[in-house]
Amino acid sequence: MTDETQLAPTTTPVTPRALGRRQWPLPKLADPAAPLLEVDNLTTQFALPSGAVHAVDGVSFRLDYGEALGIAGESGCGKTTTALSLVRLLPANARITSGSVRLYGIDLVPKSENALRRYRWREISIVFQGAMNALNPVQRVQDQIAEPIQERLSVSPRAARKRAAELLELVGIPKKRGSAYPHELSGGMRQRAMIAMALACDPAIVIGDEPTTALDVMVQAQILALLERLRDQLGLSLILITHDLSVIAETCDRVLVMYAGKVAEEGPVPDVFTRPRHPYTQKLLSAFPNIRADRRTLDVIPGSPPDLRTPPPGCRFAPRCPLAMPVCSQVVPPEVTFDGVRVACHLYPAGSSGQPVPVPLAPPIAAAAPDPAGESVA
Amino acid sequence: MTAPTLPADVLRDDAARPRFDTGRNLPGRLVRRPDALIGLAILAAFAVLAIAPDLLVGPLQTAITAEGPRLRGPMPGFPLGTDELGRDMLNLTVHASRISMVIGLLATIITVVIGALLGVVSGFVGGWLDGILMRIADFFLVIPTFVLAIILTSIIRDVVGSGAREVFGIRFGLIAIIIVIGITSWSSTARIIRSQTLSLRERAFVDRARVVGAGPGYIMRRHILPNVINLIVANAVLVFAGAVLTETTLSFVGLGDPFQPSWGQLLDAAREVDAPGLGAWWYFAPPGICIVLVVFAFTLVGGALDDILNPKRRQRR
Amino acid sequence: MTDELLRLDGLKVHFPIRSGAFDTVLGRSTGVVRAVDGIDLAIRRGEVLALVGESGSGKTTTGRVVVKLTRQTAGRVTFDGRDVSHLWAGPSLREYRRRVQIIFQDPYETLNPKQTIGDFVAEPLVVGGGRLTVRDRAAKVARALESAGLRPADQFATRYPHELSGGQRQRVVIAGALVMDPELVVADEPVSMLDVSIRTELLRLMLELREARGLTYLFITHDLSLAWVLADRIAVMYLGKVMEIGPAERVIRDPHNPYTKALVSVSPTTTPPSSGGRTRRTILVGETPDAAHVPTGCRFHPRCPLAFERCRVEEPPLFDVGAGQAAACWLVEGGRSLPVLPPTGQ
Repeated sequence: MTDETQLAPTTTPVTPRALGRRQWPLPKLADPAAPLLEVDNLTTQFALPSGAVHAVDGVSFRLDYGEALGIAGESGCGKTTTALSLVRLLPANARITSGSVRLYGIDLVPKSENALRRYRWREISIVFQGAMNALNPVQRVQDQIAEPIQERLSVSPRAARKRAAELLELVGIPKKRGSAYPHELSGGMRQRAMIAMALACDPAIVIGDEPTTALDVMVQAQILALLERLRDQLGLSLILITHDLSVIAETCDRVLVMYAGKVAEEGPVPDVFTRPRHPYTQKLLSAFPNIRADRRTLDVIPGSPPDLRTPPPGCRFAPRCPLAMPVCSQVVPPEVTFDGVRVACHLYPAGSSGQPVPVPLAPPIAAAAPDPAGESVA
Repeated sequence: MTAPTLPADVLRDDAARPRFDTGRNLPGRLVRRPDALIGLAILAAFAVLAIAPDLLVGPLQTAITAEGPRLRGPMPGFPLGTDELGRDMLNLTVHASRISMVIGLLATIITVVIGALLGVVSGFVGGWLDGILMRIADFFLVIPTFVLAIILTSIIRDVVGSGAREVFGIRFGLIAIIIVIGITSWSSTARIIRSQTLSLRERAFVDRARVVGAGPGYIMRRHILPNVINLIVANAVLVFAGAVLTETTLSFVGLGDPFQPSWGQLLDAAREVDAPGLGAWWYFAPPGICIVLVVFAFTLVGGALDDILNPKRRQRR
Repeated sequence: MTDELLRLDGLKVHFPIRSGAFDTVLGRSTGVVRAVDGIDLAIRRGEVLALVGESGSGKTTTGRVVVKLTRQTAGRVTFDGRDVSHLWAGPSLREYRRRVQIIFQDPYETLNPKQTIGDFVAEPLVVGGGRLTVRDRAAKVARALESAGLRPADQFATRYPHELSGGQRQRVVIAGALVMDPELVVADEPVSMLDVSIRTELLRLMLELREARGLTYLFITHDLSLAWVLADRIAVMYLGKVMEIGPAERVIRDPHNPYTKALVSVSPTTTPPSSGGRTRRTILVGETPDAAHVPTGCRFHPRCPLAFERCRVEEPPLFDVGAGQAAACWLVEGGRSLPVLPPTGQ
């Protein structure tokens, strides 16, 4: 596998689309002045035998053309359910109970399943978590990409195959690997194939759910670089769902931090990551080992996320928050915006300065001395 | 591509999310299924018949104690008619349940014990031992069971003798049948258990046991066996059904014991007096229906168990 | 009592590839997977040595050899001054197993679902041939559970794995490794299957235990950032060989092997690129070749941006580059430093 692991550079020039408005016709009902995607107060509920779970509870955000939004949070915070709600691929026991999902200004929530087909895969597509392991083991990869193209776009098999070959090249899979079976490809290649499938109908938005989990770090870097390149070349907008904040830091323009089904903080990545406001954001950031930091620290967030069947009153993070005040366990904090960063925390009420309040963080974890060279690489 | 049934997202509390089927509460889950319930009810009924036939219909009638008219249909006093010796068919059928079921049970025990033991050892130890054992198993799988059974029964009868001595209430002559069924049926059990053992062998908890110093015997006993028990039980149920059928067939061709008639033996007797030709349906219908019911019941329960333990179900929770 | 607790010399683990029935029966092989291909490693008493590598690097296999789960094909294993390479049976092996333990990666798989927590933790005591009374055993189990943070121990001991969360299960695994009072603990990706917010607790626990009990860790991970935070020394493996080894600060801040350097440059960080002065990323092309087809010469040369003629032909040994650091690269022979890597982050 030595030569074959070299990835093919794209030689066929793909028509570069301007970062911004796309050049193919919008759906008839579209409002050209509306943002690409606007989610308002989305609430999705699961009907479990033990009770209803509001996996997504009043989440709002917006995605502009050519933007990459990262949705971050631990498992159980509702990020995957949010993504599935956008394309309405929810399991049978889940429904969107309120809120709107406006694509080009068109609300998708009230649309019937049939009507939604016009949008799913054609305007928004999704790469599911672990999908690279769910490829059909007895079908060649290029056929697995061509088949849905043929179905969804109603084109001839030959046209579908041609498009599949284009897509494989676009994602950097060498031509001869296209005829391989999934088990013959590495994890990175398979993930590229999944991305190719998601791009099949030339969507405006691609949602990636944990796109690089389970991949080696070098392969992860390759995939993220690929996504960046696709954004440039195709004018693609991305929504990346992940618990790994570093992926969001590297790739996304904006970040939405979720906790227990609600939005904790949202804003441009540089702002939120360098001056986090919400205590959860701060703790989450400090729980990641940072290879570029001087101090070798690793923080702990004590406790565990709440049971969404019986969420705590007031702010859901209050039981674990080191800066919790009495009001936190009584009143749900409203979302307030400061300098383009939206935060839902009683430490930052409307009208306050919005200065980040630092959360006490952990002391260094190892007894090792700090870097004698002194300076960080940043 | 379809969305997952329940995103990992929602099941935040992973204590409530078993990663694989631990076979917990098998009886509980079993009785929730209507098919299993029906099967269990039927088997329970026959178990009652088999355990205490004397209490229900009195001792097994013989040519001497027979008091009914010969070969007559159902009538007052003889709800299922009589055979050619004047014996009450109900009495014979109920006693035959004991014989058929006990033979089936003993044969199943032999089959499952041999099959599970060899399956676990073969699968776990591997190597040349596995090779040899599986070739032997293949031999028994390939040879027509029935032919082998007939041959072996005669041979074993010669060795063991078919006298009046009893073991577990079964005369020696029939013990041969039990042994033969055991010999000819163990191999499919062994293969099934071996298969499961092979996959268990690769599990991390077996590695861990090795690292703390456990030897193969300990690992097979404490780690492999408890995890194949469910499979053994499911398999045993189906083996039981097969054993009853095999015994029936062997008795039907004359290897049964008229002094301890099983259902198959009754069918043989019916054939000998040409009951079908004479229209004496009461002679062969009761044993025949009993066989069908019992085998059907076992199949229902076995199928339900199989369903519950099916790996596909493991992801559903 | 030497300062070196464990030493590996020229360790090789090769697995034959057998395809087809004939090969299996006749014992022939069509090729060899060189999972570990000659490594020299020493772990000092009391240190945390991180063995870092991507999948296919051989790090897990190395860990398995150390706990004698996998047999080495060649090379020597020395523990506390004694050669244990051929120790595969007997009381000496039992003694070794008491002193060297492992924490596995998957807390859901390491526990037998049919076994209670107490039985799991007690198993080393039962199997190790000790002569403990039931009460003594229960007491040791309770102590081990408590040092792993599972209190009250007696309540946990009777539970089954499915009743515990992932973090709790991993603590049980740790307790099971500690119950014999080992000296060396191999931790194979101990937190990679746990939620991010739980990881830190477990790692802190492991480090506290090191302080309290004087443990030595061989910490196997694919996450260089984690190694940075935890380890005293880091060894970077690629395709069965150690590419670089040294104190954590030196290996991360001043790598002397192009692979290490590329790995550090792409290691994920929560410092966003636009907020100033991030090091340029060197994203390697292609993926790690499989261990059945190891390149000639320096095994990294097909993907190395600095490869030259000698690299294709001859495999470099580990050169000492000072400050306790060593790297296997012809460019650093004689203690030189690496030139700057061309950035390829697209």
